Amino acid sequence: MPLFAAGISHKNAPLALREQLAADEGKVREILRDLVGGGVLREAVILSTCNRVEVYGVADVPGEARAVAFRHLCRQRGVEVTAVEEVLYTHAEDDAIRHAFRVASSLDSMMIGEPQILGQVKDAFALAQGCEAVGPALHTLFTQAFAVAKRVRTETEIARHAVSISFAAVELAKKIFARLAGRAVLLVGAGKMSELAAKHLVEHGAFPIYVVNRTWARAQEMARALSGTAVPFEELETALAAVDIVITSTGAPAPVVTRDVVARVVRSRGTRPLFFIDIAVPRDVEPGVDALPAVYRYDIDDLKSVVDANIRERLREAQRAEAIVEREVAKLRARLGDVEIIPTIVSLRERLEEIRAGEVRKALARLPAASPETRAAIEALSAGIVNKILHAPITKLRESSRAGAHRSWLAVVHELFGLGRRS
Amino acid sequence: MHPYLQNIAIIAYVCAMGLALAHLVQRQAYVHRLAVLATLVGWIAHTLALVVLAIEIGGPPLGTLPNAVSVVVWVVVLLEMLVERQSGVTVLGAFVLPVVVVLSLKSSVARPVTLALGNAWIWIHIALALVGIAAFVLNFAGAIMYLLHERQIRHKRPGRFYHRLPPLETLDRWTYRTLALGFPFLTTGLILGAVWARTAWGSVFAFDPLAFFSLVAWLIYAGTLAGRAAGGWHGRRAAYFAIVGFAALVVTLGAGLFLPGRHGA
Repeated sequence: MPLFAAGISHKNAPLALREQLAADEGKVREILRDLVGGGVLREAVILSTCNRVEVYGVADVPGEARAVAFRHLCRQRGVEVTAVEEVLYTHAEDDAIRHAFRVASSLDSMMIGEPQILGQVKDAFALAQGCEAVGPALHTLFTQAFAVAKRVRTETEIARHAVSISFAAVELAKKIFARLAGRAVLLVGAGKMSELAAKHLVEHGAFPIYVVNRTWARAQEMARALSGTAVPFEELETALAAVDIVITSTGAPAPVVTRDVVARVVRSRGTRPLFFIDIAVPRDVEPGVDALPAVYRYDIDDLKSVVDANIRERLREAQRAEAIVEREVAKLRARLGDVEIIPTIVSLRERLEEIRAGEVRKALARLPAASPETRAAIEALSAGIVNKILHAPITKLRESSRAGAHRSWLAVVHELFGLGRRS
Repeated sequence: MHPYLQNIAIIAYVCAMGLALAHLVQRQAYVHRLAVLATLVGWIAHTLALVVLAIEIGGPPLGTLPNAVSVVVWVVVLLEMLVERQSGVTVLGAFVLPVVVVLSLKSSVARPVTLALGNAWIWIHIALALVGIAAFVLNFAGAIMYLLHERQIRHKRPGRFYHRLPPLETLDRWTYRTLALGFPFLTTGLILGAVWARTAWGSVFAFDPLAFFSLVAWLIYAGTLAGRAAGGWHGRRAAYFAIVGFAALVVTLGAGLFLPGRHGA
């Protein structure tokens, strides 16, 4: 049962081509029915997202099946076949298993560890199941791919550290404060990004939210959007004394929050840490506040460097994830091998049992006077011979399947014992 | 039997320390599991060693300073395992175990001299002081973690431990709580010791180095506690004082173990 995975992805195909080839659910259903119903592929799953269009299939002649599948896809989507074939990659057997595992685990994604892809793979699998395009091989492959993805997520940290500015800010807040629930947040200025960061904080339970802006109407509007309170610009210092996290994003040419103001505020705050997230350019908070006790200030460049460090951490973790994938590929290879050799073993046993039973019947027919003991002895003798003969080929088949080289052995066994066409 | 078990415990603690430090840098889950296992093995061997010792000498193994330090280590390891399990801060071992190893080695090379022990008061004095010291070991570990983490956040350089340490506030609270826990024990322990010294030796200090240095350590901790409770100290300053206080405590124990005086040699 040769397995393959073929497709185009963000790694080698331009966005324009991916867009053109990406098919919606209805189309995918149609294509799956054609491909599997037409007998080109025995099993198929089509994964179509904005970053990849891939066919996972099982076919007797994988090369042909792949070509037919993508010709079909291209025709459906009105894309030039040659354009796709130029960038089309194909993985067979172990490489196909590895590819499926890596895709589901988000190791092949544009941003390593992004969480959407696993859901997309699950949807694609469910869709193919709905079209009855999934057989034992792909079923085993995909259920295992989901398990591997889960393992990678829990055992490594490829998905743990923030890779966007606004999430990095929240992550930092979590490194300073024991809990974000009940932390007061002050927004100075009303930028899109500061709103996003504030929303993340609110999702973590931050409360209450204050908004300060030079334009009163804008402050009120933003406060409404975040279920917060608008505060007049003149009361900035009072507000600073009351909150834990400050997000600044004004368009002011000079710092809005100066060191002197923060120094005064810190005296009145006692021991509580104060965290400035300054995403304005030019900066809104004077860098000098860094030297004040329990004051932490991150500007946009600092946040970027945190994001970079987090991405490096993800890449480091990805290496550990690859090792997990590698081990799982070996395991699945053995299991898929078993799936393939078991029918042969069964029919081999049946074939020999058939011969044995026939010969025993003949022999007993010539010995009408045989005692029950003699009959039992003949039965036992014949069964013993059959088992002894079967032992070596079955062991060989199992061994070769563990080594991934069982195909030629299956053919030999079929040929030698006259088992007919294997399926 | 006791030295044999004691050595197993020390070797296991050294292994656990190595693994815990490796976990801090590498962060492989299985390294952490091994570290926890080694700690547990060490602690069990340590427990047996103390039980055997108690049977041999026919009383609690607090009669000599090295033995008493060994009991401190035993309490610290127990607390470390419990807190780590409770809080899920898997890096705690990396900060506590080095202290454990240093104390274990120190107590194992010191000359075993029996103290001139008198009545029950002296046992209470020892027991209270030991619980106090155990709390200050955890206080010290928390302070080190706080300073490392604070440095990374303040300087905006996410280093190796950036993703591994608990939030600053948690660590700060941690050092405060361990200080608040250890201080009353140490205080009561010292007062009992002083009262007893006065009745037995006729003088509160009686030229004993351990008594002198423990007073220094007590003053540092008292100052820190006062600063935290009344002066609004926190964070870095509190952490620095925790480290200085612990250094004084280590000198105290060192003096007791190696210098001539009424507590040891």
